[in-house]
Amino acid sequence: MVTTVGSATRRSLDRGVTLRTLLRAAEMAIGAILFIIILEVVLRFDILDSTLWGLYGPYYFVTGVLGTLQYIAIIIPLSVAVGFSVGWARLSRLRVVTWPLSVYVDFFRGVPPIIIVIFASLLGPSLVPARFHSKDLGILMAALALSLHSGAYQSEIFRAGFMSVPTGQLEAAQSLGMTRGQSMQFVVLPQALRLSVPPLANELAVVIKDTSLLAIIGALDLFGLSNVFTQQAVFGSNQLWWVFVVWTAVALVYFVMTFSVTELLNWVDRRYHVKGLEAISA
Amino acid sequence: MIRVEDLQKRFGSLHVLKGVDLEVQKGEVLVVIGPSGSGKSTLLRCINLLIEPDDGRVLLEGVQVNRPGIKREWVREQVGMVFQSFNLFTHLTALQNVTLGPTRVRGEDPGKAAERGRALLARVGLADKADAYPAQLSGGQQQRVAIARALAMNPKAMLFDEPTSALDPEYIREVLDVMASLAQDGMTMIVVTHEMGFASNVARRILFMDAGKIIEEGAPEEIFHRPKEERTRAFVSKILR
Repeated sequence: MVTTVGSATRRSLDRGVTLRTLLRAAEMAIGAILFIIILEVVLRFDILDSTLWGLYGPYYFVTGVLGTLQYIAIIIPLSVAVGFSVGWARLSRLRVVTWPLSVYVDFFRGVPPIIIVIFASLLGPSLVPARFHSKDLGILMAALALSLHSGAYQSEIFRAGFMSVPTGQLEAAQSLGMTRGQSMQFVVLPQALRLSVPPLANELAVVIKDTSLLAIIGALDLFGLSNVFTQQAVFGSNQLWWVFVVWTAVALVYFVMTFSVTELLNWVDRRYHVKGLEAISA
Repeated sequence: MIRVEDLQKRFGSLHVLKGVDLEVQKGEVLVVIGPSGSGKSTLLRCINLLIEPDDGRVLLEGVQVNRPGIKREWVREQVGMVFQSFNLFTHLTALQNVTLGPTRVRGEDPGKAAERGRALLARVGLADKADAYPAQLSGGQQQRVAIARALAMNPKAMLFDEPTSALDPEYIREVLDVMASLAQDGMTMIVVTHEMGFASNVARRILFMDAGKIIEEGAPEEIFHRPKEERTRAFVSKILR
């Protein structure tokens, strides 16, 4: 009886989620279509020009998308792991633990990521034994440095999540006979993570677009390859208008990647929504 | 059942407990009163080792528990605690709050734990709220769930830290009624409260604490109406009104 009611609400919640996601996707699609119409009809650019796509598509676009996906696949898991661990460790009472970590966070928050990318690609490889050197090592080191950069921001997100769980929750768990580990796992973590999800979606949206910084040290990502192509298009074939089409396509790809990740986290957020906790119910 | 000998606790330069002695028999209800900052909450937290005492002994059924080699978790399992601010787990339903301890600490079968959990919720008058989240419950209901949650571990004794102080007046009665029925069933209880009606009707002894020490101890009748110490008299006159 009670379970039936529970699963019914769950099902209607899922339906609401799908509907909301579809609605938002539709809004975005309309926006993109409007923009394309402006390019196509008002500025009279042929966005599907076969000469352009014949030159741009197979190598620059496809390799670029794959390259960017590859960097995202490295940076997101790594930065989340770093951010979570550092955020948790900074709750420690031990100064020897928290002080170096706060220096780490301050450093990476205070230095422009583009400088971090340059330095990591130049100096990073010297930290690695020579037999592991390859021509992409500098870029890989820069990608690791970007993970540390975002990890610094994420550690503050997770730390805020942990700190917003009242100590009374921990006391109550311990008074039931739970160990510190059990209290963390079953009581503190579920509440802390729920609070961390919305700002985490925000930060991951930034990280995805920040992978484009790797282009300046020669990474074969979507931004870098498209940059190379547009310069060739302008100087080589004298087709200036191709530039607009290419960058529109690039922006759309970044948009879809960002939207997918944030929408996934929004789904997680709604999935673990707790009734009665909303300050304002929409 | 519970004995405390010469208990000492300092927080930095603040001397909170300055040698507290007390004893509670099995099935007895002891009420502790005293002004805020007198060390009542610290005393309770030292008994279930949420706070580690600096000095002195805490004995549970004759076994000293505040010493190395004794697992704090083992002690806390046997002494239930109810907090002023309820501290229900906000991400869990009332029933899940009650079953979390038995399933995770004792490894009890989830089905059996749920069955027992529902019985406990029924005992505190909340059989119909099993699937409600804490934020959907009134203060009085939350505190009754918190009592059921503590009872789920089958504790030998229960500690209540001002269980009705955070409640709106209309919800105080329902919580005190649950506590009185527990006392009637023979639960050993130490209750920090300023509810004089409850203290007079349910407790056999009252303990007055001030500035980290026990000032006076006696039957409710004596403490409330014929206190021997000046400090007790001053405090009681303020809360009796």
